[in-house]
Amino acid sequence: MLRHVVGQSARILDTNLVCASTNLQFVRWRRKPRWLPVAKSKRFLVPERKPQDSDERLELLRLHNNYRTQLRSVTSYLMKEAEVNRKTSTADHLVLTPEQEEAEFQKCVAENEAWNAKIAQEREARLQKEAAEREAYVARKLEEARIKQEEERERIEEIVRLEKERSRSYITKENLDAAIDHALANPVDHNFAIDLQGNIYRGRDAGPSKPGEKSAEQAALTSGS
Amino acid sequence: MSIPLALASGTGRFYKHSAKIIRFARHGCTNRPFFHIVVMERRKAQHQPVIEQLGTYDPFPNEHEEHLVAFNFERIRYWLGNGAHLSTPVAELLGIAGLLPIHPRTYMTAWRNRRAAEEAAAKASESGADANKAPESKEGGSGTS
Repeated sequence: MLRHVVGQSARILDTNLVCASTNLQFVRWRRKPRWLPVAKSKRFLVPERKPQDSDERLELLRLHNNYRTQLRSVTSYLMKEAEVNRKTSTADHLVLTPEQEEAEFQKCVAENEAWNAKIAQEREARLQKEAAEREAYVARKLEEARIKQEEERERIEEIVRLEKERSRSYITKENLDAAIDHALANPVDHNFAIDLQGNIYRGRDAGPSKPGEKSAEQAALTSGS
Repeated sequence: MSIPLALASGTGRFYKHSAKIIRFARHGCTNRPFFHIVVMERRKAQHQPVIEQLGTYDPFPNEHEEHLVAFNFERIRYWLGNGAHLSTPVAELLGIAGLLPIHPRTYMTAWRNRRAAEEAAAKASESGADANKAPESKEGGSGTS
């Protein structure tokens, strides 16, 4: 319901409307206040009683009387049962003497110790097994490392041996002049073209090539293929 | 239902000698009722923390046309033995379940349903007879209805 409240009087009359700034609001809950009297239109209204079937009423009365009696009986039975349960229950009090409790405790301790001994035995066996496994693992790893090292040494020695063989043809200070003389006496020109038949075509600097003549290089190529 | 779902064992606090009642607490949603059967202090509102939940009741039939009800009979016996009250719907359910005598309201509902069915059947047969009779009465010229 949307209501526009205008003026002080309206605000006093309807206490459910409280709004200072806009004087405009929705009234979601609206009931006649308790102190207002019965509405004029309802003053002499007598609500009509619903007609009751007298047979049904009597039958219901009888049933309810029976039901109450039976329910009382059942409830008293359940109350006795609850009382018995309360008395026989050991939930909230001690039922053992100190000696019995001590005996119970000793029994528990003995059982616990037996369990501990058993588990210790199992643990010992497991640890031994694990240690043996670890030893074997370490031995295997050491052996593998040794083999690998040997292989590496052999490989290096092979390299050294090849290098020693190659060092015979090295140019040293002693034979440097001889090597220079040899190089000057035998110039090698690598600037040439070659076709699919293996003919070599020298460049201008090396002089015109003669077709059909096979150079030393071409002879090497053809003999090699 | 702004309260969080309580433990089935219940978290409600109660006085030792206050009036307890076994009743429904509605835990469904809109247009889908589902009830917990709970024991709580009689004066407390429906969705306050319960002392203990004692069962459930689904008022809508399932796909096999069964109404599912669950009871913790051990605890119901305990609470009834400790003087808890019963709401009528719970008393009806417990009567049908067999712990308590059948509630009179169950009988009443049954005979009212029966009477309504009989009346509907009588009406249907009467209207059927009328429909059969109608052409004859038209011919005779005197309608009795």
